[in-house]
Amino acid sequence: MGILNFFWTLFYINLFTIGGGYVMIPLLQQEVVNHYHWLTEKEFIDSIAIGQVTPGPLTIMNSFIGYKIFGLGGALGAAISTYLPSVIIVIGVSHYYLQFKNSVLVNSIFQGIRPAVIGLLAAVALTLGRASIIDVPTGAIALVSFALLVFVKVEPTFVILGAAITGMLLCS
Amino acid sequence: MRETDISVKEILTVFLKIGTFAFGGVYSMLAFFEREIVTKRAWINHDAFAESIVIGQLTPGAPIVNTGIFIGYMLKKVRGALATVVGQVLPSFVLVLIIAYLYIKYKDYVLLRAALKGVGAAVVGLIASVVYNMSNKSLKNYTSIIFAICAFIALAIFKFNPILLIIVAGIAGSIMFGKNVGHGNP
Repeated sequence: MGILNFFWTLFYINLFTIGGGYVMIPLLQQEVVNHYHWLTEKEFIDSIAIGQVTPGPLTIMNSFIGYKIFGLGGALGAAISTYLPSVIIVIGVSHYYLQFKNSVLVNSIFQGIRPAVIGLLAAVALTLGRASIIDVPTGAIALVSFALLVFVKVEPTFVILGAAITGMLLCS
Repeated sequence: MRETDISVKEILTVFLKIGTFAFGGVYSMLAFFEREIVTKRAWINHDAFAESIVIGQLTPGAPIVNTGIFIGYMLKKVRGALATVVGQVLPSFVLVLIIAYLYIKYKDYVLLRAALKGVGAAVVGLIASVVYNMSNKSLKNYTSIIFAICAFIALAIFKFNPILLIIVAGIAGSIMFGKNVGHGNP
């Protein structure tokens, strides 16, 4: 059953999405693109963009992926598989949040995970860059996007919409 | 924690508003939360809000959604928690369905392909900017820099499974940092 496998994949990916929604990207890329071949690299990049353009959390991109592969049921099931583990865990933790927050073990685990996640995301930027930076215009769009986000602090939504318009003008 | 008089419907309404209008990054969304829940309605105070942010980041999943779940649970137990998820996710879920429909229908159109080519490049810039910002915040000593470089090499060159790498990094962190407390504030 492909669809159940897909939901299960999202469920366990979400359990390891620790320290920010972006952490999900390397995990999704591994399972959805490299392992199961549900999406091509290009479709995966489009999913990230769509998750970013819409309001609310980036993780809603899972519903886009679900719709793309399995239709409406896939989209709905993807949302449930993505957010249900969070509901259960947050409610569980909230009873012990003071102990949890001050736990040496929890904090030291995070001190290990946080820098590792940066390395993982850098690797993702590299592989996605190889797939989508293919000529001078796309290279320029990537550089300008980076500069606008880091130095001018433009909202990501506007950067992606701007890139779509620039793409239409330069690449068609 | 005790239940409040605030109704599930009120919680849902506020979080629908957040889910509809909160574009952009984590900080703009947190500012929106703060304005709607702490300043305007005084459902929780600033201390509880700060706690909800910490819990959001220390639990698996999207931190913002988790912060909402924690707030909803404080206000109205499980029903409150579920109301925050539905509110935050429903508007973008509907929008994603519409975009997905159009995406599949028009994906061979030249103009859409050109737009997506631009978007693909911007996504690379976006992820690079996340790496840059996170590095500035979290790579403060040699140990953490080494962790980041090892993870990069393990994924980019050796194609290790990233879930495995996160588990290994967590175990390594608990061994190496387990004794000096207090540096781990998110």
